[in-house]
Amino acid sequence: MTTETKEAIYTRYGRPSELARALAQIMDPEGKPEVLEDVLVLDASYANFSGIIAASLFAEFGAEVLKIEPPQGDPARHMTPEGEEVEGVGIPFIVEGRNKRYMTLDLINSPEDRETFRKLAKKAAVVIETFPAGQMDSWGIGYRQLKAENPGLIYIAITPYGQYTKKAREFVRLPDSDITAQAGSGLPANMGDIPEAGEPYNWPLKAGLWAAWYISGLSAALGGAIALVHRQNTGEGQMIDVASMDSYANMVTIPPTIGYTWEKPRPRIGVLDFILYPYGHWQCKDGMVAIAAPRDHDFRALLKILGLWEIEDDWRYSSDRIPDILEQATHLHKIIQEKTIKYNADELVAKALNYSKKAARSKWRGGGVPIVMRVMTPVTAMANKQWHIRKAFQEVEEPALGKRFILNASFVKMSESPPRIKWVATQIGRDNEYVREKYLAES
Amino acid sequence: MDMEDYFEYTAKLFDQSAIMGKPEALKGIRVLDFSHVIFGPTAARILGDYGAEVIKLELPYYGDLWRPATYWGKYWKHSNPIWHSVTKNKYFITVNLRLQKSKDLIYRMAEKADVVVENFAPGTAEAWGLGYSQMSKINPKIIYLSCSTYGQYGPMRYFPGWDLLAQAASGVLSLNGYPNTDRFYKLPDYLGDFGPGNFGALAIVMALYYRNKTGKGQYIDIAQTEAMMRMLYHFTFYSLTGRELGRVGNTDPTMIGAAIYKTRDEKFVALACGTTKQFHGLLKALGREELAKEERFINYRETLKPENNEYLRKLVAEWVKGKTAEEVVASGRDYEFPAAEVMDDYQICYDEWRRERGSVILFRDDMYGEIALSGPSAQLSGTPSRIKWIARPLGYHNRYVLKKFLGLSEEEIVALEKQKVIGTFDDRPGLKPPVYYNLDNDPIYNYGREVGK
Repeated sequence: MTTETKEAIYTRYGRPSELARALAQIMDPEGKPEVLEDVLVLDASYANFSGIIAASLFAEFGAEVLKIEPPQGDPARHMTPEGEEVEGVGIPFIVEGRNKRYMTLDLINSPEDRETFRKLAKKAAVVIETFPAGQMDSWGIGYRQLKAENPGLIYIAITPYGQYTKKAREFVRLPDSDITAQAGSGLPANMGDIPEAGEPYNWPLKAGLWAAWYISGLSAALGGAIALVHRQNTGEGQMIDVASMDSYANMVTIPPTIGYTWEKPRPRIGVLDFILYPYGHWQCKDGMVAIAAPRDHDFRALLKILGLWEIEDDWRYSSDRIPDILEQATHLHKIIQEKTIKYNADELVAKALNYSKKAARSKWRGGGVPIVMRVMTPVTAMANKQWHIRKAFQEVEEPALGKRFILNASFVKMSESPPRIKWVATQIGRDNEYVREKYLAES
Repeated sequence: MDMEDYFEYTAKLFDQSAIMGKPEALKGIRVLDFSHVIFGPTAARILGDYGAEVIKLELPYYGDLWRPATYWGKYWKHSNPIWHSVTKNKYFITVNLRLQKSKDLIYRMAEKADVVVENFAPGTAEAWGLGYSQMSKINPKIIYLSCSTYGQYGPMRYFPGWDLLAQAASGVLSLNGYPNTDRFYKLPDYLGDFGPGNFGALAIVMALYYRNKTGKGQYIDIAQTEAMMRMLYHFTFYSLTGRELGRVGNTDPTMIGAAIYKTRDEKFVALACGTTKQFHGLLKALGREELAKEERFINYRETLKPENNEYLRKLVAEWVKGKTAEEVVASGRDYEFPAAEVMDDYQICYDEWRRERGSVILFRDDMYGEIALSGPSAQLSGTPSRIKWIARPLGYHNRYVLKKFLGLSEEEIVALEKQKVIGTFDDRPGLKPPVYYNLDNDPIYNYGREVGK
């Protein structure tokens, strides 16, 4: 296929239209007000990205976020793949440096700095911290001391086992990390290959991204936003306790209920799904495609597209595709594989779209919507025109690093008060003077 | 000053038995939830967990696709057990969108609603007269969330999609697996729906905060692919290094010695060091403190270099092989480095810590009896999340909602039933009540009618 026809597949179905153009215009953040412009956030998180990520989300919605760290910097600065740093700053720290200000305070060693923190907290709407439960309290700057001076304060604490319960007390010194939070909250147990695949492929598998840290950070920000609405209505603050060992299980909600109703854990089933089939990925001529055709009419449509109609009346496939009989599902998987390998990914994407389009126009309806998508890597995903038009990525410059680079921006579009990236900053102590003048001058 | 013990203080602050007596942050917010399956319903559900009145609209005798879609076809009391936590605390009503009468009902509800959530294929809601342009004319203060896989504009807007496709299109799917092989796997449990659903809820709550200040509603467009992309540092890594990180197997390349390991008692543990201090703690546990002096482990950055980190992971693997999972985790506690056992569904359900914390809640429902449900991902001391009821049969709240919220009379409702504007369930599991449950005696289902005769 030429690049021209390739491009056509991804654009043919959504020709430029008035509505789409108008929407792109409406969603442009340029010049729009920011939701949290009246909110001051102190992020004292230490060696823990979930706090940093929560702070980023507040910053994207317009809050003034002060990252508080000791003079030698937060150890999170060095948590970076294979030690790759730019001017001493790790890449994830750069990614989450959006709209932030940097203040040095040595909370761990300096009583005077704790006093400065206490003064700042009087003016803050939100405090975020990830020290062992009770540590800030023992320094005199925990929730109960800070709220005495600022009853509207929202105090977010993120730790592995939370701020209360026997276990939280026993494991109070246990530090947090993404991989341990993934393991403890149920993700790896349900990902990985079937037993026959052999070791290590049949082991529990961790997600290839910071799933637990992003989930904990998002949960903290969401809890904080709900608390901000309550504060807006009543003036009352509150404490928010995020346990990273909860993060995955409680966001997807599924594990405890299956443990209860089935009275045993699910086994790992590789590329299959527990509920839907086909719902996975297959090899094609030039890479991999993800295929979802789980409803009966979607499945039949897929059989037509792939030239597999002859197996349609086989009861094993037409009415019982749920992979509780592993052997049966893997057999069907191989049959589909023999067909997908004959096509390029884009050909399959086009076939599925053409079929769905025709089916939608048909007076018979119910023709099915088989869905195919090329499995992208982050790099190929980034090149997609869709994200260019939606400004999903933004090129920014951090002068202190002397570099321009790409950031994942704009995870949600809002017509009146959208989140946005205004700048990226990473320098230790960059805003010490600014903070002193703006927040500490008179007291 | 003598302060109360911290953990006694927090135990009171987060007392799980006091939740029902605490205020609800989103009380008085009314949500029209047109969405289906997981993505949209999750955004709406979170608002309901914090006190919003969420009215879920479904097609009569058909209902949400996810009602019958249970894992391995295993139903629980004729319901899909994992649907309960997606749709708890909601009001279930049905309207047949093909009829103009139904739209009139919806428009009347929209006058008094604060939030609308939908996740039809882009363009569908507008075509049916239920889009933002129509709803905001009826109620300019409305906050309207459209959920889709690729967004409401851009050339791919009409592409259909689910969680899996968002995982594929964002690059996430390609990352979970083993390097130098084609073995990779999708994130389990539809995280590509639940994660973006939570991002969607965040956007709505931010819009509510904005509306409280300015009186203005707004339109929100969330694409689940973009939401998943927010969770990757890989784009920036590539743009700064020119290198693709790719799959990393069971390791975390941002931390020292980080991987999932197998223990002597055939269990799995994860272990990692995120600081030099934690690394030295681990070396102490290993009895290899002398390594800290070696040039290749002299600081965090050097240690993270692939060959150095690989050496350490092998060392740790050997050590873990000789320990039970409990011993490894105890070492993490005592020497202060992150460690955790890999927890499965069953362990999570029966974990004492989760029960005490309110992370797994044994809920007693009026219709379904006892079931274990997940608690909130964040515990709020002042306005906590709570469970009032779980999912209900299709059309269960028709009378309750139409009478209480719209002031319709019994005669009007009977007429709507005859015209097939509203309806209930057929015999399919997931749609109907449990077989032992007699709806004739249910005061909510029969709201405003005499029951129990």
